[in-house]
Amino acid sequence: MKKITCYIDNMRLEADPGETILELARANNIYIPTLCYHPDISPSGNCRLCIVEIEGRRGQHISCMTQVEDGMRIRSESQEINAIRRTTLELIHANHTQDCTNCTSNNNCELQKVTAYIGVDEKRLERLRRTRPELKVDDSNPFFNLDHNKCIMCGICIRTCDEVAGVNALDYGFRGFDTIISTFGDKPIKESVCESCGECVVRCPVGALYVKEQILPAREVKTVCAYCGVGCNLYLGVRGNKIVSARGDRESIVNKGRLCVKGRFGYSFIDHPERLTTPLKKVNGSFKEISWDEALDTIADKFSGAKGNFAALTSAKVTNEDNYIIQKFARAVMGTNNIDHCARLCHAPTVSGLVQSFGSGAMTNSIDEFKTARTIFSIGSNTTAAHPIIGLHIKEARRKGAKIIVANPKEIDLCRFADIYMRHYPGTDVVLLMGMMKIIVDEGLQDEEFIKSRCEGYDEFLSSLNDFDTETTSNITGVPSDTIREAARLYAGKRPSSLVYAMGITQHSHGTDNVLAVSNLALLTGNVGRESSGINPLRGQNNVQGACDMGGLPNVYPGYQAVTNDDVVEKFEKAWSTKLNRENGLTHTEYFTEIEKGNIKALYQVGENPVLSEADANHVKKALEKLEFFVVQDIFLTETARYADIILPACCFAEKEGTFTNTERRVQRVRKAVDPPGEAKDDWWISCEIAKRMGAKGFDFDSVTDIVEEINSLTPSYAGITYERIEEEGIQWPCPDTNHPGTKYLHSEKFARKGGKGKLFPLLYKASVELPDKDYPLLLTTDRSLYHYHTSTMTGRVSGLKDIQGSEFIIIHPEDAKKMGLVDGELINVKSRRGNIKVKVDISRICPAGVASLTFHFPDAPTNELTICAVDPVSKIPETKVCSVRIEKET
Amino acid sequence: MRTGFDKLKKDSLKEWELLSGGRPSVCIGTATCGRSAGSMEVKEEFENVLRTTGIEADIVEVGCIGMCFAEPIVMVRANGKDWVCYGEVQTSQVSEIVEKHIKNNTVVRDLALGTLGDTGIEGLPALFESQVMKGQVRRILSNCGIINPQSVGHYIAREGYTGLQKALRLSPSEIIDIVKKSGLRGRGGAGFPVWKKWTFCYEQETETKYLICNADEGDPGAFMNRSLIEGDPHSLIEGMIIAGYTLGAHEAYIYCRAEYPLALERLRLAIEQAENIGFLGHDIFGSGFSFSIKIKEGAGAFVCGEETALIASIEGERGMPVPRPPFPAVSGLWAKPTIINNVETLASVALILRKGAEWYSNIGTEKSKGSKTFALVGKVKNTGLIEVPLGTTIREMVFEIGGGIPDNRKFKAVQTGGPSGGCIPEKLIDVPVDYDELSRLGTIMGSGGIVVMDEKTCMVDFARYFLEFANKESCGKCAPCRLGTRQMLDILDDIVRGRGKIEDIDLLLELAEGVKAGSLCGLGQTAPNPVITTIKYFRHEYEEHILQKKCRASVCKELVSSPCQHTCPIGTEVPAYIGYIANKEYRKAYEIILKDNPLPSVCGRVCHHPCEEFCQTGNWGDPIAIRALKRFATDWAIENGLYPTEKRYRIFREKVAIIGAGPGGLMAGFNLVKKGYDVTIYEAEDIAGGALSMAIPEYRLPLDILNLDIQNIITAGVKIKSGIRVGRDISFRELKHSYSALLIATGAHKSKMLGIENEGATGVIDALSFLKNVKLNRETGIGARVGVIGGGNAAIDAARSAIRMEDCKKVIIIYRRTEKEIPAFPEEIEAGLEEGIEIMYLTAPVKALTDGNNILKGLRCIRMVPGDYDSSGRRRPVPVEGSEFNIELENVIVAIGEDPTTGFENEVEGLELQDNNTIKTDPETFKTGIDGVFAVGDVVTGPDTIIKAMGGGKIAADMIEKYLNGEDVKAEYAPTRPSVYVKADEFDPEAEIELARPAVSRIPVGKRKTNFLEVDMKFDEETAVREASRCLRCDLETEDAKAALKVIEE
Repeated sequence: MKKITCYIDNMRLEADPGETILELARANNIYIPTLCYHPDISPSGNCRLCIVEIEGRRGQHISCMTQVEDGMRIRSESQEINAIRRTTLELIHANHTQDCTNCTSNNNCELQKVTAYIGVDEKRLERLRRTRPELKVDDSNPFFNLDHNKCIMCGICIRTCDEVAGVNALDYGFRGFDTIISTFGDKPIKESVCESCGECVVRCPVGALYVKEQILPAREVKTVCAYCGVGCNLYLGVRGNKIVSARGDRESIVNKGRLCVKGRFGYSFIDHPERLTTPLKKVNGSFKEISWDEALDTIADKFSGAKGNFAALTSAKVTNEDNYIIQKFARAVMGTNNIDHCARLCHAPTVSGLVQSFGSGAMTNSIDEFKTARTIFSIGSNTTAAHPIIGLHIKEARRKGAKIIVANPKEIDLCRFADIYMRHYPGTDVVLLMGMMKIIVDEGLQDEEFIKSRCEGYDEFLSSLNDFDTETTSNITGVPSDTIREAARLYAGKRPSSLVYAMGITQHSHGTDNVLAVSNLALLTGNVGRESSGINPLRGQNNVQGACDMGGLPNVYPGYQAVTNDDVVEKFEKAWSTKLNRENGLTHTEYFTEIEKGNIKALYQVGENPVLSEADANHVKKALEKLEFFVVQDIFLTETARYADIILPACCFAEKEGTFTNTERRVQRVRKAVDPPGEAKDDWWISCEIAKRMGAKGFDFDSVTDIVEEINSLTPSYAGITYERIEEEGIQWPCPDTNHPGTKYLHSEKFARKGGKGKLFPLLYKASVELPDKDYPLLLTTDRSLYHYHTSTMTGRVSGLKDIQGSEFIIIHPEDAKKMGLVDGELINVKSRRGNIKVKVDISRICPAGVASLTFHFPDAPTNELTICAVDPVSKIPETKVCSVRIEKET
Repeated sequence: MRTGFDKLKKDSLKEWELLSGGRPSVCIGTATCGRSAGSMEVKEEFENVLRTTGIEADIVEVGCIGMCFAEPIVMVRANGKDWVCYGEVQTSQVSEIVEKHIKNNTVVRDLALGTLGDTGIEGLPALFESQVMKGQVRRILSNCGIINPQSVGHYIAREGYTGLQKALRLSPSEIIDIVKKSGLRGRGGAGFPVWKKWTFCYEQETETKYLICNADEGDPGAFMNRSLIEGDPHSLIEGMIIAGYTLGAHEAYIYCRAEYPLALERLRLAIEQAENIGFLGHDIFGSGFSFSIKIKEGAGAFVCGEETALIASIEGERGMPVPRPPFPAVSGLWAKPTIINNVETLASVALILRKGAEWYSNIGTEKSKGSKTFALVGKVKNTGLIEVPLGTTIREMVFEIGGGIPDNRKFKAVQTGGPSGGCIPEKLIDVPVDYDELSRLGTIMGSGGIVVMDEKTCMVDFARYFLEFANKESCGKCAPCRLGTRQMLDILDDIVRGRGKIEDIDLLLELAEGVKAGSLCGLGQTAPNPVITTIKYFRHEYEEHILQKKCRASVCKELVSSPCQHTCPIGTEVPAYIGYIANKEYRKAYEIILKDNPLPSVCGRVCHHPCEEFCQTGNWGDPIAIRALKRFATDWAIENGLYPTEKRYRIFREKVAIIGAGPGGLMAGFNLVKKGYDVTIYEAEDIAGGALSMAIPEYRLPLDILNLDIQNIITAGVKIKSGIRVGRDISFRELKHSYSALLIATGAHKSKMLGIENEGATGVIDALSFLKNVKLNRETGIGARVGVIGGGNAAIDAARSAIRMEDCKKVIIIYRRTEKEIPAFPEEIEAGLEEGIEIMYLTAPVKALTDGNNILKGLRCIRMVPGDYDSSGRRRPVPVEGSEFNIELENVIVAIGEDPTTGFENEVEGLELQDNNTIKTDPETFKTGIDGVFAVGDVVTGPDTIIKAMGGGKIAADMIEKYLNGEDVKAEYAPTRPSVYVKADEFDPEAEIELARPAVSRIPVGKRKTNFLEVDMKFDEETAVREASRCLRCDLETEDAKAALKVIEE
């Protein structure tokens, strides 16, 4: 863009057209006082302090909203300006708590800065009336307070909540002098739609919105958030050996400084008193502290005797390095491919499906590309709850003009932003997607060129479309024909279109088909292999991508190298100097059946909690009881750990070095901020110690750097991702060598499949295994809460998060509630053929009639005792999204 | 397109002729103003009466013709004659109108306001020639009150939609050119040239543009837009279609407040009609232009009149403004170019296209063309909607069209432009009203509200009111407006509560400038205007509030307590004694009166009772008869022997002399004695009382009553030396030497003379001498025919005294102004007229006619007419040339005022005299130029009232005490408060407002005309108690009172 010239206080400056005077001044380090400007959000011009004068124009102009023009001459101050600024500022002071030293924002306060610059005379202030009555501080939110008495009504919080968070919890309330920052209906913040992300608190220029019991850190450590697969970069504030704050890294391309409620406020589990601090051994049914030596020796001894009937569960929560070592342990020491982790329960079909269609089972594009997509199709993903920051990226895209399509049985938060919302019946995704594709083909909206040059299997696929005429589609899915048509046209027409999905697609007995359906859609319309488009499975846990990448799966070595491929096996045999098993191992879901059959006798479990997270949890419990030797390595004594023979205390993310790979394949550095509690150890260290005590070679690592080197050498897609290179910013795999910049989006030239083409698959409609009937008339689906993570091992120990949501509730549609005579908040029994839990009722139209919804976060209401372990034949994922239940009133 | 419209027009004309044709018709004004006055009931009654009598007539609802003060207005037409406009029609009068006018073709004259039509009806004025209508034009309002607003046919019949016809044949730029030539400026307030605004939008090359009509009209007291929409909605629709066509907008919104249900109903119907005909919709009359109008109801936030806030409101957001640029004309509704015009602007566009730019601009001023509608409200007789050429003066609007101020009160100021405007004081009301002149005066045209204020309006309170409005209506977005208006409001609040500081006035101005310059939108930028203009024009009222704790309009509750006490120069605790009378505790009532007033019986009879002027009860009905209640209490005390007879105060301090035993001197003396001073009053006359004994006739103030009060003062300890004239019998110097302090209270006894030829003739006497002679039973020389010149109380006193003289047969009062302006008390005039006195208004003496011996034979007079307005807001009488005439008279009593005289002025050094011979004193302390010498009463103020002189006396006593104590002689002020809060009787304000003030009974004329018996009778007990309980007891509304009452209750 051509630069223009203008002058501030006679300084000649180069400016971009469209730039505001304030932006220009800031870029050139010229201070213009302002209280309501923030670079992240749109200007609103309401503090009236940034006024300047412009030669040839009458009066004063606000610099935050006046664009520069070529040749413009600007005066940043004059007598008039100073007089107006002073009056305005004095008025603000007259109604502002004058107690700086007791304010959390002291020395970090825009009002102080502005005051120092403009100057406010005490004498002059004394002339003014100070009649503002003391307003009540809103301290309802567990994490932060709103003190109206310090509020300067700059409105930054309102605009942040709108433009950054898209929540709109805050707005101006009342009128005139009584105007305050308020919620809808002037309710306490906690009772509003506020999601407690704290973005407003971060941006509050004074101390009106402030973190409760704020403690300033002595130092900050840059690391990656331990919740969800988005992989937000953050700085943990440390004082002594305690984490006292967290803030988003504004430089990070992933989150641009933004964090969700868990990331910003959910760190107090780290020094929770219930952390495991020493190894424990079960003696007569209760746990006794033992030394590391005793623990490790016992394990080494027991494992040595369990070769052949051993299985390991590694973790999506630990680092790549930890995962690498654990799978290496299973394979190289225990000689088994019985290594798996909870990806089996979330994205196994993604891996199995996308590998079939594209050749690679990961998110094709980058988070940063959402903002340039023109259509975003979210299906089976409660994006803003489960991946809040990606939710923000989507909302940002919409602000920039992107169209949003949402398909979800539940009317999720993102529907507020949707141009088209399709509420399809749970389990009918294949029909909906194939129905859309039928319309696309019928209307000739497919990308013929793309199909011809880059795809195969088209004809077979086409013929299978005939089953999905729009009327049938509408009947099965319950979505009006016109809506399906509109969605099809939009997705195919307004490109690039990006599709995001999550467990609404995968957790089905036909999960792989679902994944094939979304990949079909992308291939058909040419919405893959291009920037800002693609198929974007949102990975659930912080390092579930990495755990998969590191070979935490029964069929592949690190980098998805098949255990059945002789070349590969030989490479690893050579590297690890040992003979390796060439058969696929058992999957997570199969473990428990095999344990029951007596085929697995020893289990080594790291950072998992299947008692709560596995479908049909009762059969898991039964199995665990049958184990001969069960080692659990974790940070807390989980529900599953209670079944263990030995429990090993591990470090949490804030206590370790290493890397996490986020959902967009970005490998990012995790850094140690504090020392672990007691004798807790790094996961990799523990596994190495066991291995060494079993006499294994190749486990003499001094630090994670050594491990990374080995990963680099054995994993082609990670070959170029060295520690030095990701010091500042992570790199997205594939990254074959140290000169490679990483891969922003996949399949740009060719697909990773053999032959380089994408493949379209013919599909059939397969109904879910257990549908409602007379005895169990309600369809139960499962979901996530924004405020909790996994089985709430961590979030359940953050009092603020528990305060916001402390227990499970079942969402039931008003019609169903009426039929059953339920009242809001009532405690009821939910029964399935497999179990029975007690929860409170939340009557809401979020679920359609006939469908109820639960999360699986809460130990006291173990939802997975209800769910069915009907698995997808390909990926072995259980159908946790659909089962049937009945409600029984508490008697 | 032509044929379609021509046919439509033909049908419409038929419909219109039906209304104006042979069949009798009744048009009833059923706009909001009519409805609130009961027009719907009147309409129903017409229907009933017509049905039951079987008389045939059409009943048509019309809008507001503008004369809201005369609603319900009914226009009746029968027998093909002109319309007759009836005002204030009550349902009870309907059958009479039907019977007489419709059936028998006889106009009901006493209800008729005038005729409408070409032929006229004999004996009835044409409505548009009446005082109210004469100065007005009928352009924008030409259909209002004339056509049925629910009939598009009526509109079309009266050339409606011809502007649109023309417009559709022109190119947009041609239309803009016509609008430019017309000189039309935005009627919403700021007066931005319409063509310019349109051009910005027209030049935007965007497919989608919007037009918005701003019908949010949020100014308190403004209703022009509402009336126009209610009376002629299609004029707006037509203007909007033309504007839409010109700008290239296809969608339009009318943003109208939900508080205008009738206007909304009319608009909805009009839009529906226009759609049915094809003026709105797709491809209007084959022009290819498509246009639709939607209505958006506003929820009543004032700020939503600001265009960006209005846009936010239409978009469904909180109505909050955003900074401009970009201007809506470039980026407005949903970020598309948008033009927002006011209702009247758009209606004017239709008119301009219909009649042409030249026609439109042939009235108005150079820079403000055309006419403007105004809502004329407040303290003006003819409230309503008016339309005048721009450039008409406020005076014409208020005094000609508006008929002046009700209740003979004094005009104070007008307020224009609502909360964004400012006030214009009396001295500037001859400025022609146009956009630029008003802005020069510091106010704005606004949408056209004109609020008239009289002396009962406190300008500080007025500023406070508007600032409170602005602050409440501030959207809260920008700091200067949200906080600044509140800060100013808090300061004003302090001032009206007596807590202000003199520096606050400048602080207010400083803040006002900051808020004006700093605020984001027009609301804040103009909100300080009421403060700025009131300080500019009425700074003295601010100063009075702050320094003297005085509110001259008796409005500011916390200063005033009760207006009666606040206005009483001696601070009589009126509400307390009224409260006691209401509670039948007459003794307590008397004691409260006596506490502050040593002349209670006198004041109960002849005080001019300023207390009644601002009486709160009087704001809703008649003021309380305070003076009569005082007399009731004092008479009761006399009857019960309660007057003090013993010396009450111990004298222990210095000697003070007072010259003159009039009300000022007596009051000062009494108060000084109370303080312990040794007081001697030197009185030149043989009896004490000054004007009380010399000038007030016996029939008003019997001497024995006066003496009772004087005795009260004497028993208190004041020594009165009568018959000693200072300057003759004793020198001033001697007095000064013998006393520690002196007070001059010699009054004004020298009658002013007329300055006409032969004024010295025998038979010409001055009123004071005459009244004194009557009082002292001396020879008066009054003959059979007596003329009295003047219109004050002295003139009436003289006339009524003269008529009681044995030889007198006829008394004529000659007064140069009108009956409305005569200053004497109405009850005195009334009593005089009962006694046979004549009054010649608008007459002035030219010369005394004498015989050869210089003996008066008569008076040559001249007729006067009201001329231009003078500084008092009254019209100066001017002689009618050639209207001289003679009256035969034997005496002429001159009662046109008096001048002070002391008789020792020349002897005293340091006593500074002013032009009219008054002594110059410090206005607050009554200190003269001589150390230790004070002066009060008429000798200081010129002829004034008894109570004012007494007020001076009271202050002088305080100041003398300070002087003698060696303190700084300085007046100190506090907000008015009674010494006791008397519990109010239980009352129902609604019911008591309905009660009338009882008249004071007089003894029958036959029993009083030839003697000097006291004429006025006292209230009987029942009357007194009832009248006392009618008092609203506003003294109990201060915070102090509430606190005190709470204590009592507990």
